[in-house]
Order: sequence, then structure tokens, then C-alpha cells
Amino acid sequence: MHYGMVIDLKRCVGCQACTIACKAENGTPPGVMYTKVLDQVSGEFPNVRKQFVPVLCNHCVNAPCQRVCPTGATYKREDGLVLVDHDKCMGCRACYVACPYNNRIFLKRGKLKSGYHGKVFTPYEAVKYKEHQDGIVEKCKFCSHRVDQGLKPACVQTCPADARIFGDLDDPESKVSRLIRSRGGVQPLSEDSTEPSVYYLS
Amino acid sequence: MSRIMPLVGNEYVLGFRKQLEWSGLIASAFFFGKIGAGLFMMSVYTESRLGMLIGLTIVLGGKGGAHMLFLGKPWRFWRGMSQPGTSWVSRGLWAMTFMTVFGGAALILPAGSTLFMPLAIIAAFFAFIVAVYDGFLLTSSNAIPIWNTALMPVMCMFYAFLGGTTLTLFLTHFGIIPPSIIEPVLSTVETILLAVNLAIVFLYLITCINSGGARKKSFELLVKGPYAVAFFSLAIGLGLIFTLVMTVISGSHAGPGVVAMVTVADLIGHYLIFFLFLRAGVFKPVFGLLKI
Amino acid sequence: MKQSEMVAQKDYWAKSACKMCIHSCAIVAHVVDGVVVKIEGDPDNPSNRGKLCPKGHAGIMRLYDPHRVKTPLKRTNPIKGAGVDPMWVPISWEEALSTTAEKLKKIREEDPRKLLVAINDFHRIHIWGWGSAFGSPHYFSTVGQYCGAAYHPINGTLDGSFAAVNDYDHCKYWIQIGAGDGFSSHLHVAASIKRMADARVERGMKLVVVEPRMSSGAAKADEWLPIRPGTDRAFVLGMVYTLLYELNIYDAGFMRKHTNGIYLVAPDGNLFRNSESQKPMVWDSVAKAAREYDAEGMNLQDVALEGVYKIDGVEYRPAFQVIKDSLKDHTPERMSEICSIPADTIRRIAKEFGEAACIGSTIMLGGKEYPYRPAAVNFYRGAIGHFDGGLDSLAMKLINLVIGNIDVPGGHIGVGLDHRLLIINAGKDGMLHPEPHLLHPPYEFNEKPYSFQLMEWYPIGIDPGHLTAENVLNPEKWGFDFQPEALIIEHSNPMWNLSATNKVVDVFKKLKFIVAIDIVLNESTDWADIVLPDLSYLESHLLVCIEPPMVTGHVYRRPVIEPLYDGRDATDILTDLADRIGFLPNWNGLLNFTTFLTPENYLDPNTKYSNLEITDRMAKSIYGPDKGLEWFQEHGHTTRLQTPEEMYLPFAQKGLRIPIYFNFIKETGDDLAQKMKAAGRDWDTSSYLPVPIWRDHHPLHNMPPEYDLYAFAFKECQTNFSESTTIPWIDEAISCMPIHLGVMINSKTAQKKGIKTGDILKLESPFGEVTGRASLCEEVHPECLALSNGMSRWSQHPVGKRQVTTHFNKLLPGDVKWTDGMTGHLETSTKVKISIISE
Ligand SMILES: Nc1nc2c(c(=O)[nH]1)N[C@H]1C(S)=C(S)[C@@H](COP(=O)(O)OP(=O)(O)OC[C@H]3O[C@@H](n4cnc5c(=O)[nH]c(N)nc54)[C@H](O)[C@@H]3O)O[C@H]1N2
Ligand SMILES: Nc1nc2c(c(=O)[nH]1)N[C@H]1C(S)=C(S)[C@@H](COP(=O)(O)OP(=O)(O)OC[C@H]3O[C@@H](n4cnc5c(=O)[nH]c(N)nc54)[C@H](O)[C@@H]3O)O[C@H]1N2
Ligand code: SF4
Ligand code: SF4
Ligand code: SF4
Ligand code: SF4
Ligand code: SF4
Ligand SMILES: [Mo]
Repeated sequence: MHYGMVIDLKRCVGCQACTIACKAENGTPPGVMYTKVLDQVSGEFPNVRKQFVPVLCNHCVNAPCQRVCPTGATYKREDGLVLVDHDKCMGCRACYVACPYNNRIFLKRGKLKSGYHGKVFTPYEAVKYKEHQDGIVEKCKFCSHRVDQGLKPACVQTCPADARIFGDLDDPESKVSRLIRSRGGVQPLSEDSTEPSVYYLS
Repeated sequence: MSRIMPLVGNEYVLGFRKQLEWSGLIASAFFFGKIGAGLFMMSVYTESRLGMLIGLTIVLGGKGGAHMLFLGKPWRFWRGMSQPGTSWVSRGLWAMTFMTVFGGAALILPAGSTLFMPLAIIAAFFAFIVAVYDGFLLTSSNAIPIWNTALMPVMCMFYAFLGGTTLTLFLTHFGIIPPSIIEPVLSTVETILLAVNLAIVFLYLITCINSGGARKKSFELLVKGPYAVAFFSLAIGLGLIFTLVMTVISGSHAGPGVVAMVTVADLIGHYLIFFLFLRAGVFKPVFGLLKI
Repeated sequence: MKQSEMVAQKDYWAKSACKMCIHSCAIVAHVVDGVVVKIEGDPDNPSNRGKLCPKGHAGIMRLYDPHRVKTPLKRTNPIKGAGVDPMWVPISWEEALSTTAEKLKKIREEDPRKLLVAINDFHRIHIWGWGSAFGSPHYFSTVGQYCGAAYHPINGTLDGSFAAVNDYDHCKYWIQIGAGDGFSSHLHVAASIKRMADARVERGMKLVVVEPRMSSGAAKADEWLPIRPGTDRAFVLGMVYTLLYELNIYDAGFMRKHTNGIYLVAPDGNLFRNSESQKPMVWDSVAKAAREYDAEGMNLQDVALEGVYKIDGVEYRPAFQVIKDSLKDHTPERMSEICSIPADTIRRIAKEFGEAACIGSTIMLGGKEYPYRPAAVNFYRGAIGHFDGGLDSLAMKLINLVIGNIDVPGGHIGVGLDHRLLIINAGKDGMLHPEPHLLHPPYEFNEKPYSFQLMEWYPIGIDPGHLTAENVLNPEKWGFDFQPEALIIEHSNPMWNLSATNKVVDVFKKLKFIVAIDIVLNESTDWADIVLPDLSYLESHLLVCIEPPMVTGHVYRRPVIEPLYDGRDATDILTDLADRIGFLPNWNGLLNFTTFLTPENYLDPNTKYSNLEITDRMAKSIYGPDKGLEWFQEHGHTTRLQTPEEMYLPFAQKGLRIPIYFNFIKETGDDLAQKMKAAGRDWDTSSYLPVPIWRDHHPLHNMPPEYDLYAFAFKECQTNFSESTTIPWIDEAISCMPIHLGVMINSKTAQKKGIKTGDILKLESPFGEVTGRASLCEEVHPECLALSNGMSRWSQHPVGKRQVTTHFNKLLPGDVKWTDGMTGHLETSTKVKISIISE
């Protein structure tokens, strides 16, 4: 079992539903985005090309963030998920400078003292911020809590364009594997031999 | 095509991004680590217990302190020692620990003890690792090309020696540690180290000039971007050229004023150059060479 | 499950309806220990199928917004103004309602026309008529004239629809003109994005997007055609010319069978009728004679579509021939001059479009054979939100009619306003009965106007609320001899949504009393004297279904938790007020009609009914006595996919034809012209044309030369008007998205003017000025500035306040000169001159 995600750039319309769905699912505090969708505009008017590029942790097979982590807080699961054990992380940010994709987010000390409306927490935030710690590094967790219940990650579940597909890369018959074969999926920064588990179709 | 990409902040745009986490405190840790370890090594060489003590204190207090201030969860620092197999941070922590243990042991021995030298030399060996490991730490980061170069550890090593020499010179000159080797030697060593560092930094910049992508962006930040002034005037001008000129002119007859000036100038340059290297760290665009 | 049982659980998923935009996707809300921790799309719903757009997810933060109105509020600061703190104090419901009722009762006794009304609640269309039940004909807000005025009436006239969209499941060549369908806005965008993506990627449908700005749709399109604002009709008519005159591609069969294209037209433009039967005549080319359109034994194939036929010395032409002749000078070259799209591009697109239409081919669906026309033009506000917007709409319909794709598989499909699907009734002449007014019945004509928005003079339009301010401020112009004193607002933000903002401000200043029913404070409620807290969508009951493409039925909006604050359902508030003011019978009478009640469920005129009771009766009236509210609480939604019969050729099933020659519009115009003449008023009815043509005297394109750049506003998926920018999750995202960060200006244009990204600009139109941050880009036509709604808000809500707010509407006019004569639609683009205020 090796979980991975395929992102179909032909389908993505840049709506940012994934960005907000991830927020809602994981209750991330202000400024903390496990995923977002970047614009890439190339060419000059009128020959302009605009791409919407969703980015998130690639759950690299050969993950620099894990290699450099001095505490072992960043670890790899059997199923390929790269996760951070919030109770072990000492907040040294070695992983932050090691992730070529800039996907690691450090929560400053005191970060959780205020939310989206300053010191007043909404009931939702009061519940959700308990799942976080300040002074440590976080990132997309491929919605491990959902995946473990057999659910799709929140961003995948909601994507109105079905531009995000989640599945088992080890299974040659899974939708992700078939898409990668048939449409030639590519990995971001493959030249860094990090072996991302996220593939893009363009 | 990655060339035409912008350097972006938090906008949702594909492009180069600056690293924003490793800054002043990490620079301080690097700085104190090097000058402390440098002084420690020199002092073992000059057999100055006081020098060793000061060196050790700078490493523990300065470097250790900076790290503790920097860590998000300081009291979990001990966990950081659990991955020496893969993590340079772990290795650095171990090196510091051993340096402290052996150095401390050597220092508490009564004067003239036969064990002193062996322990001091082992400690000096770990001091050496403390001095250079952050070079490897930076080199090992594929993510930030301007750090990812073999010159880093070399530069760290020579800056450590330079720092150590400068401090020894200063301390002996002001009679804080006894002159075991005659000053002229020291000041020639100082001059040579300054020249060598200047050469390495120069070499380092050359390698950036015709690089592309993120390294180029970093380079631009250093030489024409917001950091250029500090980089040229202080890090290089004051820290290396000014000091070099002064030591060459005054040679071994430098008066206290000069020595003090050179020391301060050297330390400022030393701190700044690594601080700026950190600040200029730029990630590659997520898609690297990929055309989409 | 019963409401009480449901909310009693510790951990549950509640089915309900989203209302973060005007549409109504189905949701499930996850509630743990009484706290909503997640909202997802309802996977069982055939419309959005588990999908939500970003606004839908952000609903949690709207619900728990600490700045919501929690209790009735009273203003204690008598001074009103933008940015002035009203110094709200909480008051009891009794005080709030009695004060309000007292003021309004007095007004109603004196003259009900002293009340202005701004009720825009898209999900509660049944309460829009509260004002008329009160006795006020006025409308002081906009939904209509900023988007649909030139759209809905034309849809209703064509095929009894309210909206329309191309057939996602079968279309293979989709031209999208000024609309966000399938990408960013319009009909159930969370649902349509998937349908559009499947069509593009799975079925390889070709997509051409025509817009001055590279919208997210244009970014995904096979081809983006940047166009000059307000000239889309020219582009489309250039295509029609190419099809008719150069390629000879048109669906004669469809026109003969399903349209009035064969009806003979007299030189005066009216239908040639049989003098006795008054039936329209057609030309039987075998009998070489004019015959009644439904004459026995006449073979449709023999009926002429083209030609000129002399009867008793008078020349008659089939309607299709008239259309052709009217467009004979609309060459791609001339149209290109107007719209800035090269003539050969117009020709190429027309060819691709015409060929993709597969005229003649058919398809079997649900065991029935239908014409198969997998090419269609889809359009909305951008294309028709203009002076002459009615003609813009007609042109968009015409190009679809020409290839015979109206309501057929692959083509351009009518969408109902609600569960009712299309309104197919027999009209005269064997035609479908035109339904321009699905929102409320037309206003009786009167020489002297009685509604500030002049609805009585726009017989097929939708309330031009943007005229209200102008007429309140200059009553003498049309002879209004009364002045407004009060305003009631419900789910509306006239201060933000209306054009000519400065005039709107002046009207707000004049008003003695303003009451607003809202859940948060916006630009308008900042001026209110009393604010009454509504229940938010996650706290209230409703059966809702707004402009659902492909599906029908209702989504049941239900409270997923107990209401958080001391709010009351807007319907209950309005009922209470109607009772206290003393017009409960009129109100109940109106509700009987607007909630589709069947006689056995009619409301007793003098009884106060709760929203729950009304909803229950509505459910029973529509779905039968056993399908009341309880049934919905058990089973949730009734939404289902439309059957092929419901979707395709519904008019033909009733033997009715649809217009390709819009004589109904001409007749309406002629009638109005006559009445106005009799009334001694000069009123321009020149746009009531049966055939869309380009008309050069378009004020937008004839502005003084110093106004050298077009400017327009746009919606994208992240925001719903200005409201959702007060939601921190949305605000956080859009503050990082280039399109929402400033006034989009083409980099070349900017260079010429020495403008850099980040410069603060002054934008001046003849009607007002705004400041904005320059944002250089390639994604906009060099002659245009594009302004996101995401930067338009200036209300007191503390979330996401920008230093520079750029509210486009301040640049727009709001008078008759800038209003489409046929439909009352406002010209929603303008031209500006720009200067740099600071670098
Ligand atoms: N996300 C979201 N969805 C919504 C809404 C919302 O606020 N946000 N509002 C709902 C409502 S009430 C409405 S009316 C609909 C509106 O739905 P749309 O009409 O689809 O949305 P708009 O953005 O108003 O206009 C569509 C496009 O027209 C372009 N445009 C402007 N001027 C011109 C022109 O002259 N010619 C052409 N070809 N294009 C032009 C703009 O760039 C814009 O992208 O959306 C509904 N759905
Ligand atoms: N610049 C610019 N102006 C525009 C447009 C544009 O694209 N750009 N679009 C035009 C179009 S197409 C339209 S339809 C109009 C829409 O204009 P509006 O109908 O005014 O827009 P909304 O923001 O949907 O609704 C108004 C207010 O309803 C309140 N509200 C939200 N939820 C609830 C609720 O549950 N209950 C109650 N009682 N109130 C609630 C909020 O305070 C919100 O500000 O704007 C038009 N004006
Ligand atoms: S939700 Fe899907 S379509 Fe929307 S931005 Fe994210 S990936 Fe793209
Ligand atoms: S993307 Fe970055 S954070 Fe995620 S696994 Fe790879 S290196 Fe680690
Ligand atoms: S910050 Fe935490 S996760 Fe990252 S390397 Fe340090 S300890 Fe490991
Ligand atoms: S997988 Fe889960 S955590 Fe990762 S981006 Fe998607 S929603 Fe967020
Ligand atoms: S499209 Fe409208 S109704 Fe549907 S999820 Fe988005 S905001 Fe809600
Ligand atoms: Mo609208």
C-alpha cells in the first residue's frame, strides 16, 4: 500500500475549494495553509496561458524533511504517509529548510493564543485548535485521520472538478496508477530525487 | 522558463520563495559555535586553560543559548539527539556534548596532569566538528541551492580558525592569556587566514554568477538586492578587506587600539556574512525544470 | 429524524442547504457536541454530488462570526454616514417590532408609497412581495438590472425558462460569452464545475471563451477571445452573418417545425394574419399561396423560409427572410471593427460552430428520438449587462436558434426559476406563451409613474432599481409628487449593490427611518435605525431550489444546530410586522400564491402562520398531503435529475412553437410607444426590435475620448458579492490571489501610462471616482480595467478591511439614458480615465 495523489491540471479551475476545505477539515490557525492553489501565467497578451497549480505535501518516498529531522518527529508510515508527531517536534525547522517544496509550516510560539477574530475564539476554533501545538512544524497529513477511516482526503472529497484523485500507487489497477500511465503523470522537482507521491497531469 | 519566474511572497503564484525561518538566532548560533570552537582549538594548541574555558563558555552559552532561544519547544532539545544517523542537527548536538564533556574533564584536572592533553585533544576534535557541522547542515539542503555547495563546510572551517586566531590574538595582546607562542606568528597566521577567507568567499560568489534558478536569485539578493550594502561594506569590506589591510600594515607591532579594531571588525564581518547567507536563502519553484 | 431528536445527539451529520451564494447546493453538516465542525456537499444530491465551492466550506465561519447581529439593535447615534459608528444598543424584540410597526403603520396610513423596499432574499423569493402587500410599489435595490433584467425576460419569452445553460452532458462545442458557468459563478457553480470538467476532459468538448478578461473559464478554454466590453452582440451577429450568408449553415427543419421563422411578415414588421381567423399566414410554395400556419394537409417541407411574396400588391417575407435581410450588412469585417475580434477569427469560429452542430443528426434518449445539436453559445451578465442588453440577449438566442439547438440534446437548455421547470403555456398564434415575468406580475401602465424604478414603463423588464435614487432625487423629471420616508431591507445591500453610489448615499441621507433584517452588518445596515437579526441558513427551515440546471425538486434547508442567538426567521419577522401594521390578509393572500399553496392549504387571511406551518403547507401542496415537513425531516431532499422529457423540447410536446422572430417584443414596444405618445411623453422605444441588430448610438462606446479605458466588475468562485469578504477564511485566501489584489490592467497599457504594480490609481468616470491599487497583468484586454468584487467592500465589519477599497459601482451611472429601453437593464460597464495618486 502506497497512498498517492494525482492532480489533473486540465481539470483544476483554481476555485480554492480545496484550500478552504482543508482549513475546515483540519482547523488550521490563521496563515497556516496545508494546501493552496498557485497561478502560473506565461506568455504575453493575447497569447496568454494561465495554469492553476494546487500544491501540498508530496509525501516524498525519499523525504528530506524526514532525513534531517533530529528528533524523529517527522516519520514515514508503511502506507507512504509522511507525518509529524506533534509531541516530539522541538521546532528546529531543519525540515523547513530541507523541504524543496516549501511545504512545512512553523507555528510560532503563542500562535494559538489568537484565532481569526483575535482573542475571541469561535466555538469551532475552540474545538479545532486543540488539535494543534505552537512552537512546532506542521504540514499536510494526507488527512491521515480520514484515510484511516477509509475516507478520501477532504480536498479530494470536495474538489468540484475532481482534479484531485487519491489512491494506491502500488496497485497498478488503481485509478491513480492508471491515470499516471495513460496521461504521463509527472512529479514536481523530480530532479531532486525526492520521489514525490503526488503526480501532476498536464 | 524558471528564469523568468518572480520572487514571490505569500501570493498564490508559482515562483521562487525566500526561506523565512532561519535567521538571526541561527546566525548567532553559527557565529558563537565557530568563534568559540576556534578559540578552544587554538587554546588547546597554545595550552591555555583560560582560553579553552572561554571558548567552551562561548560555545555553550552563546551557541547553546541561541539554540534554546530559537527552538519552538526548547525543553524538547534532548530529543534532537536521537537521529545522528541522518541528521546534522543531531550530530552537532552530540559534538557539542562531547566537546563539553571532554573539555570540561580536561579543565577540572589539576595542572600538569598527564591526562590533560589527551582529553583536551579529543575535546578539540569535537570542537572542530562543532565548527564545521553547520557547513554540512547547509550543504545537505537540496532545497536552497545557495547553501547547497561544497564550499560551505570549507568556509565554515576557515572562519572558525580565523575567529579563533583573532580572539587568541586579542586575549594574548591584552594579557588575558599568556603568550605561549610569540605574537608575530599569530599575526602572520591571522593575515594568511584573512586572505584565504577572502579567496574562498570570492570563489563562492564566482560559482553563483553564472548559475541559474534559485541560486542566481539568492546571489542577486546578496549583490544587488536589499542585502548588497551590508554584504559588501560590512561582511566583506570591514570583515575581510579592512582587517587584512590593517594586519598587513601593522604586522606584529600592532598597538592595542589596532588589535581591538581588527577583532571587532572581524567579528562583525563574520556574524554578518553567515546571517546574510541565511537571509538570502531562496527555494526553487515547486515545479523546478518542469514545463507545465 | 425530528429536529429535537437530531440535535439531541452528540455526533451527527445533518442534511441541509447551502446559502453562501444565491444558489442552493445540498450539504451535510457534521456536528459534534453541538458545534458544527465541518460542512460537506451532500453526496446523495444529484446537483452538487458531494461537491462544494470555497464559500460553501466557509459557511462555518459565517455561522460563528462573532460580528453577527445577535439581538435586535437600535442606533443611538443620530448622525448617519459611511464610516460613522451607529453606536448600536441591543433592545428587546418587543421594542424593536413595536417601534418599527408604529413608524410603518403611520406611513401606510398616510401614503404607503412613502416606503422604499429592498428585499433581495434569493432563497426566500416568496417574501419579495411584502412591499406590494404593504402597498408600496417601489424597489430600491438590485438583482435584476445588474444581471438578469436583459436575460430572464428573454429566456421566458423564448421558451418559458428563467435561466439557461448549455447541455453539459452532450455539448461538444461550447462558446461561453461573459458567464462563469462551469467555473466561477452562475447556476450552482459547485455542481457545474464537475459537469464542465467532465465535458472538457472526458468528452473532449471544445471550449471557446469570449471575455475582456481571462477568467478562470478562459484560462481553461481551448481558445480565449478577448473582446471589447459591451460588443458581444456584434461578435455573435458577425457569426450569424457568416452562417447565413457565407456558409449557408442553418437548421431549416427546426425553424419550420418549432419556430415562427416561417410566419409571413408584412412590410411594417407585423405578422401577416388571415383577416377573419387572425391566424398568422405562411407561404405554401407548392400551392404558391399564403395559408394559415396550421392549415390542414400542408406539408411543412413546402413552407417557405426564404423569399419575398407579393400578395395583393404587398410584399411579404417569411420571418427568417426578414432576419436574414436585417443582418445583411453585419459582415465580419464591420463587426470586427466594433468588437475588436479579427474578422477571420469570427469566420473561423462560426464555421467550427456550425459544423459542430451536426445539423440533421438525431439521438435516442429515454427511448425517444431527439435532434442532436452538440454546439451552443452560453452567456450571462457579461454579455448582456449593457445598454441594449435586450438585443444582446436576443442575439445570443438567435445564434442558437439558427442551428436549432434550443432545448435539444447538446444545445442550449432552458432552466426554471425553481422546482417548476419551464413554464409551458399555450399563447396565441400557435406559439408558447411568453413568460417575461417569473418574479412578479407586470406593473399596470400609467401615464404618471408610481414606482420610483419606473417598472410601469418597462413592460417586459425587471425592476430597474437603479432608477429609484435618480427619481427620488429629481422627482419633477417624471412628475413624482411624493417622497420616500422609510426603507425596509431584507437580505439586501443596496448601498453596495446599486450603481451611482453617490446618489444612493443621498437617498439614504433623506430617509427618516430605516429598518433592516440581516445577520451581519453591511454597507447598508450601517445606516439603519433598527436591525432585526434573522436566523442564518444553518439555523432555519426552508424548501429551496434556485435556478437548478439538470435537476428539479427541493433541497430542505434545516437548522443543523439550535439557533445561536436571539434571532428570528425573516419570514416570521415580516409576518409579525404585517400583522402589527395591519395588512396580514394581503400578506397571507400573497403567500398563498408565492408558496404555491393549493386551495386546501390556503392560509386563513386573519391568522398568523409561522414559517414552519407555511413551509409544511408548501410541501404538502407541491408533493401531496403525506409529504409535509415531517416527511422532509425523515427523507431530506426531493431533488432528482430531470427526465429527458422535462429537459428536451417541452414546448413541442405541447405542440407549441417558439419565436425566432420576436414579434412579441415589437408588439409590446409599439403598444408602449402609443401609450407614451398619448401621454405626451417622449420615451425611447427604439430597442423593442423583433430582430437583434447592432446599433451604433451605444452610449458606452460614445463617451468623451478622455475616458479611454473600459472598466467592469467581475465575480470569481471565492466571493459572493461583497458579503463573503467578511469571512476570514475567504478573506485570507483572496488576499493572496492576484486577481483580487488590485485593478487589473494590461501590462502594455500600463507601461504606456507609466504605471507600475502597486501604484495607487485614481479612476474617474463621468459619474464618480474611486482609488485602486494597480495590478499589472496579461490577462485583460488592453483597453480594459477589470475589478474584482473581492476588493469592493467598505462596511464596518472588521474582517478583511483594506486600506484601499475599490468599489466599482461608484463609477457607474443610474439613469434612463444608461438603461436598456427594452428590459430596464443597466449598462454595467463604463469608461474611465486613470491617473497615478502615489507610487
Ligand atoms: N461565485 C459566485 N457565484 C455567483 C455569484 C457571486 O457573487 N459569486 N452571484 C450570482 C448572481 S446573483 C449572478 S447574477 C450570477 C452572475 O454570473 P456571471 O454573469 O457568470 O458572473 P459575472 O462575473 O457577473 O460576469 C461574468 C463575466 O463577464 C465578464 N465581462 C464583463 N464585461 C463583459 C463584456 O462586456 N463582455 C463579455 N463577454 N464579458 C464581460 C467578467 O469578466 C465576468 O467574468 O452569478 C451567481 N453566482
Ligand atoms: N460592483 C458590483 N455590484 C454588483 C454586482 C457585481 O458583480 N459587482 N452584482 C450585482 C448582482 S448580479 C446582484 S444579484 C446584486 C446582489 O446584491 P445583494 O442581493 O445585495 O447581495 P448579497 O450580498 O447576496 O445580499 C445582501 C446582504 O444580505 C445579507 N445576508 C446574508 N445572509 C443573510 C441571511 O441569511 N439573512 C438575511 N436576512 N440577510 C443575509 C448580507 O448582509 C449581504 O450583504 O449585486 C449587484 N451589484
Ligand atoms: S478544488 Fe479542485 S478545482 Fe478547485 S482549486 Fe482545488 S484542485 Fe482546483
Ligand atoms: S514535500 Fe516536503 S514536507 Fe512533504 S514529504 Fe516531501 S519534503 Fe517532506
Ligand atoms: S522542526 Fe520538528 S519536525 Fe522539523 S526537523 Fe525539527 S524536530 Fe523535526
Ligand atoms: S490531504 Fe488533507 S491535509 Fe492534505 S491538503 Fe488535502 S485536505 Fe489538507
Ligand atoms: S455554489 Fe453557492 S450554494 Fe453551491 S456551494 Fe457554492 S456557495 Fe454554496
Ligand atoms: Mo445577480
